[in-house]
Amino acid sequence: MADDETTGTSAEDAALNTALAAEHAAVWGYGAVGAALGADGRAAAAAAEAGHREVRDRLITLLDGRGAEPVLPEAGYELPFPVLSPVDAAALAVVLEEGVTAAWVRVLGQAAERTTRALAVEVLGPAEVRAVGWREAAGRTPVTSALPGLPAT
Amino acid sequence: MSPTTRPGPRTLTRRTLLAVSAAGLAAAAAGCTSSPPVDERDTVTSAQADELAAQVGVQETLVRAYETAFDADPALAAAAGVLATQAGEQLDRLRAAAPGSSPSAAPPADAPPPGEGQAWLRAQVAAAASSHAAAALGQSGARAALLGSIAAGLRGHEARLA
Repeated sequence: MADDETTGTSAEDAALNTALAAEHAAVWGYGAVGAALGADGRAAAAAAEAGHREVRDRLITLLDGRGAEPVLPEAGYELPFPVLSPVDAAALAVVLEEGVTAAWVRVLGQAAERTTRALAVEVLGPAEVRAVGWREAAGRTPVTSALPGLPAT
Repeated sequence: MSPTTRPGPRTLTRRTLLAVSAAGLAAAAAGCTSSPPVDERDTVTSAQADELAAQVGVQETLVRAYETAFDADPALAAAAGVLATQAGEQLDRLRAAAPGSSPSAAPPADAPPPGEGQAWLRAQVAAAASSHAAAALGQSGARAALLGSIAAGLRGHEARLA
């Protein structure tokens, strides 16, 4: 639980900043994904990266407009595992999309504004669709998720 | 990656990336959010309760649609059985979030045309996803998170059925 002063839009802004941190990580991570893929897969990675850049920029604009300081990207990131093959790259993309999805589902749980929930819903669908494709490329089963972004019970 | 002035590396492990939201997410899923004792986000109005009950009905209809499509196309049942299982899991979570609700699940409005079971089922999934996504906007707290998650999951199903 957070402190008692974290209420309403401040909780929403904190969740949005957490989503922004995840989007920063995704933008960075897709560079590594694309580098390990062939030409066909690289196009998918580039499209995904572009999607995350767009969401990142919308989040920065939104938080700036509210007077909340948007979180910056980290100075450096380390890969969770070596990304040496297309399968590794797809597995990393799954990590990125699932991380972003968890952050956006949290936004839904914390949001005070309907427009914020609308943004979260708009982002979540494409993220899960991308995750389905990457899970398949990574050889994961099942490739779909019943409750993306929510912890298993 | 753009250089920043912030010091210190960040390990992009699965744990790190998912941890950005794990604590709050677990709380939200449990109906316990990070605010004072009575959190407005988890105070359900009668309208919200009614709408959540309606979404239980939407999901029940979708589960029936899977059954209908599989009856019409056994090959589809073999290929997409996991999707039906996951739709059932979603229904269980919705029912748990709306205790006491007694929605009137409508059967699918039509039946799959011969040879078009997959496309028909995909349309049913898309409709349910859109319904849950729209309903999430009128909810708050854990209920909004649940509906948004289910809607996203169904978008994944829809992609799988394409």
